[in-house]
Amino acid sequence: MLEGVDFYAASGELVSIIGPSGCGKSTLLNTIAGLEEPDAGSVELDGALVARRRLGLVGYMQQKDLLMPWRTVLDNVILGLEVQGVSRRDARKRALKLLETFGLRGFEKEYPYTLSGGMRQRAAFLRTVLFSRDVMLLDEPFGAMDALTRAQMQEWLTELWGSLGKTIVLVTHDVDEALLLSDRVYVLTARPGRVKTVVEVDLPRPRYYRMVTEEPFIAIKAGLVAALREESLRVVEESWR
Amino acid sequence: MAVTEEKARADVRRPERYPAFPGRELLQPLVRWFPAALIIVAAIGVWEGVVALNDIPHWKLPAPSAIAEELWDSRGLLLRHTWVTLEEVLVGFAIALVSGVLLAGLIHMSRTLERVIYPSVIASQTIPIIVIAPLLLIWVGYGMQHKVIVVALISFFPIVVNTVDGLRSADPDMINLLRTLGANRWQVFAKAQIPSCLPFMFSGIKVAITVSVIGAVIGEWVGSSEGLGYLAIRSQSQFLSERVWAATVLMALMGISLFAIAALLERLLLPWHHNQRRRRALQGG
Repeated sequence: MLEGVDFYAASGELVSIIGPSGCGKSTLLNTIAGLEEPDAGSVELDGALVARRRLGLVGYMQQKDLLMPWRTVLDNVILGLEVQGVSRRDARKRALKLLETFGLRGFEKEYPYTLSGGMRQRAAFLRTVLFSRDVMLLDEPFGAMDALTRAQMQEWLTELWGSLGKTIVLVTHDVDEALLLSDRVYVLTARPGRVKTVVEVDLPRPRYYRMVTEEPFIAIKAGLVAALREESLRVVEESWR
Repeated sequence: MAVTEEKARADVRRPERYPAFPGRELLQPLVRWFPAALIIVAAIGVWEGVVALNDIPHWKLPAPSAIAEELWDSRGLLLRHTWVTLEEVLVGFAIALVSGVLLAGLIHMSRTLERVIYPSVIASQTIPIIVIAPLLLIWVGYGMQHKVIVVALISFFPIVVNTVDGLRSADPDMINLLRTLGANRWQVFAKAQIPSCLPFMFSGIKVAITVSVIGAVIGEWVGSSEGLGYLAIRSQSQFLSERVWAATVLMALMGISLFAIAALLERLLLPWHHNQRRRRALQGG
């Protein structure tokens, strides 16, 4: 599925991986998180090789929010802490402090089915943040949202990331999202996935959604879109052959 | 912050189907159960009328009023036998619940155990209980033990099958999530598989508690000196049809009440499940 994907994320950086669907983006994150093993190659954290037993070392937020329907919002977000052996009382105390920032205040006792899509996603993100690992992997976190909510969430995430000081690896197929959020964007080729180009995003921070329509943004976007388009055309051509 | 709380709250509100009015919550069950009650009342009315008009002898088909009278007149006798049957049902069901859940856990834990145990579990249900019951009588005698075993045998199957299915129903992505959080196998079991299993287990319990009453009555028919099943079969041979019917009514009431208690427990213990299901039903309608 993947073939020679080399990339790095420095501490505190936000790096995006973008590519045509089916290029193995999720496989890549699964591998980093430790759910899958690479046939060849390695995963390094903090410059040290972590061969086996990577599970539990990085925070991983998957596409689905995976909130447990039998747990209240509060008990859902403390799941990571609980697994690590933090007592429920302490974990809840820590979570309550962050609920406000994640727009979940007043909903701590609600069950997930009562929440909107955006709130569920923020709860899933809070669960990942509370797990408090230095590296967080986000797999299309806003994929299922409507455009407006997504734009809000993206702004919110850049702001939050600034204050968290975490390294984030974000997988997306949304060009605007990748550029708006990241320091660097890796464009993957179609199957087998390889790194096609790397785009450095040197837009000033803090970033706002309106930048999407401004000149510097568009200039970088043009290059990125061209690279992506070349890839998707190649896929189409191959499928016709 | 980009997303205000008010806006988020507005996201949650879903339109109500009917305009709210005070006391609506209290009235709702009445409205819901009204058609069912109407049908039962109408059926009893027709029955009473048919018996009266055709002058049917009481030993052939007693009128509902005669059955009601018998229920009241022989209340002491009936109640004594009801307690006996209820005790058999409860003890047998408790044994079935414990052994059924344990068995399901074993089946879930190991493929080998599954291959070894599951076929015999299924086989135990394919042999009619009415055939086994007399054999059991030879082995354990007339006492309460016999009835309890019959009840346990008949009711443990739905518990095992549903619990096994429930343990398997956990979302694999959720299990993966727990693994990325560093959870070990036991934590995955406790935090994902057991909670996912509970609604299934309760479905099994609701079926099991209802068939337990049937089990107890079968056991009493085959051989006993007390209980509603015994009372019914003895009264039958004495042409006391009212009493047969009275006993039957009590068996049905027992089954319905036990089912209702199980449903209520499910609602109290798994509020999320109940509300989610209800909301889906409302939206679907």
